[in-house]
Amino acid sequence: MQKKDIGLGILIIVVGAIVYMHNPLFLSPINLGNTANLIGLFGLFAIGQGFVIMTGGIDLSVGSVIALLGVLFVDMVGKFGVPWPLAVAIIIGLGVLIGLAHGILITRFRLQPFVVTLCGLLIYRGIARGYTAESTAGFPFGSSYPQLEWLTIGRSFGVPHSFLAMLIVAAVMWVVLHHTVFGRHLCAVGKNEEAARFSGINTRFVTVMAYVICAVLASIAAIYFAMFTKSVQPSSHGNFYELYAIAAAVLGGCSLRGGEGSVIGIVLGAVLLQELQNLVNLLGIPSSLNFAVMGAVILLGVLADQQFAAYRTRKSTERALGLLQKP
Amino acid sequence: MNVLELKNISKRYGAIQALDNVSLAIAPGEVVGLMGDNGAGKSTLVKVIAGNFAPTSGDILISEQKVEFHKPLDAQKAGIEVVYQDLAICNNLSAASNVFLGREPTRKIGPIKVVDYAFMRSKSAELFARLKSETRPRDLVHKMSGGQRQAVAIARTLLSDAKIVLMDEPTAAISVRQVAEVLNLIRQLSDHGIAVVLISHRMPDVFEVADKVVVLRRGELVADKKASQSSPEEITGLITGAIEHA
Ligand SMILES: Nc1ncnc2c1ncn2[C@@H]1O[C@H](COP(=O)(O)OP(=O)(O)OP(=O)(O)O)[C@@H](O)[C@H]1O
Ligand SMILES: [Mg+2]
Repeated sequence: MQKKDIGLGILIIVVGAIVYMHNPLFLSPINLGNTANLIGLFGLFAIGQGFVIMTGGIDLSVGSVIALLGVLFVDMVGKFGVPWPLAVAIIIGLGVLIGLAHGILITRFRLQPFVVTLCGLLIYRGIARGYTAESTAGFPFGSSYPQLEWLTIGRSFGVPHSFLAMLIVAAVMWVVLHHTVFGRHLCAVGKNEEAARFSGINTRFVTVMAYVICAVLASIAAIYFAMFTKSVQPSSHGNFYELYAIAAAVLGGCSLRGGEGSVIGIVLGAVLLQELQNLVNLLGIPSSLNFAVMGAVILLGVLADQQFAAYRTRKSTERALGLLQKP
Repeated sequence: MNVLELKNISKRYGAIQALDNVSLAIAPGEVVGLMGDNGAGKSTLVKVIAGNFAPTSGDILISEQKVEFHKPLDAQKAGIEVVYQDLAICNNLSAASNVFLGREPTRKIGPIKVVDYAFMRSKSAELFARLKSETRPRDLVHKMSGGQRQAVAIARTLLSDAKIVLMDEPTAAISVRQVAEVLNLIRQLSDHGIAVVLISHRMPDVFEVADKVVVLRRGELVADKKASQSSPEEITGLITGAIEHA
């Protein structure tokens, strides 16, 4: 655990306590279950976004990927009767391809991540809307897929499986980031691409893999979201989700300059974001102010973190000077 | 026997002749001071030796064997290590992680391979001790002094059993005390039988550690002399062109 993670954890508890004091419903099993579900859904793809941000890049296409793959998944399973395990495999395969496309455009063709994924955002959304001719994709009335539903929207002991899925993904990605060679290289590439290359690291491979991880997690999230909403409205489904992911990653200590970040931090960032949504609902703040609250808290959080870091540097410099002045 | 030999190396960048027929031989453990004005081609020469790009023409021989480098990794495998001008290390990682960057040791836990942090730390502590540096393996590089960063970069070269270490301005932008530290590190390398090519604009540094001084002027090698048989005045003349050749 890094210091930042602990600070974020404390913030989550403090905000939670304040909300609870104003509205005890905050800790009701129903509210906790619903919030956990949303944390799971958003956390899934925020972790992928974090990996991309750690390479110094960004993926703006996540929301559109969730819409496009969601439409395709619902249609495959609901309309064309594709067995769901096959449909899941196809969707994840498409995620891999999308990630590869982004990664290769960025590393081989040297396009900027912002531009590549912005085009992705427009293209995938456009395809989703064109393919469905703007109509909502949904499962046929009365259809049911017990195993798929158990895996995605089921609960065990009141804990939503989306949340458990996110925890499993987080655990795996934590090992990948902090304990594998790939994770070390990811941090190195993000901080100093040239140094990493001179150290013999295949920096292109590392970067491409980050985009693949991001798109694959977005594709898994697409399935979870499609099952959660049961129908996918191609023009609004997943709108702005990339920004939620970026916000969670930044709150969680990922630097947009690359090279820094922790999986625990990203998950806590996703928790805080959903907690804030929850706060808006429970405290009777007009939900139109939703984004404003989120923006303000992120700004304050980042500002406080930076001030705190500056304070610590000042303190340690003073200490060092003090030692020098002693005879 | 020479550990490195360059034969008629030339390198053009479009219209610019950055290196013009450079020939040079370096013996094991020899410390070579490579000097020259800004733009003389020093960094270009280092990059050619390090496999960053191929020379336009000419041959490179390592231990009398002709070699061709297509990427830095090829040169690394042949025993060439580089400490770059702008220090190719990652600030966000610990000293130990940087020493092992690109060649992390792993151990298996069940089916997955995880980075062996314990080994990385103990081995780099050993390397720092060998270099007589006070760098601590766990420290983050961005909190370290210039001299300590150099120690990290140089420890990397010990790790890989390098034969030649190329250093591009290791003493630029660090304090006097740290310069002494770096010069010490260079002597340690030489004592271990590792040849060092030291690029520097600082005459005193070069004369303090170098066995031989080589001068480049506009891509041409104009001097290749034992340091004991030359003087800072002569080298300055060679760099500026006041003295044509030596
Ligand atoms: N990538 C490049 N493309 C085009 N020209 C280059 C490139 N790199 C270097 N040069 C040119 O080649 C010549 C030699 O440059 P080099 O960097 O080797 O000089 P140097 O001796 O290392 O100088 P300094 O002391 O300033 O580091 C210069 O004229 C420089 O402008
Ligand atoms: Mg240079």
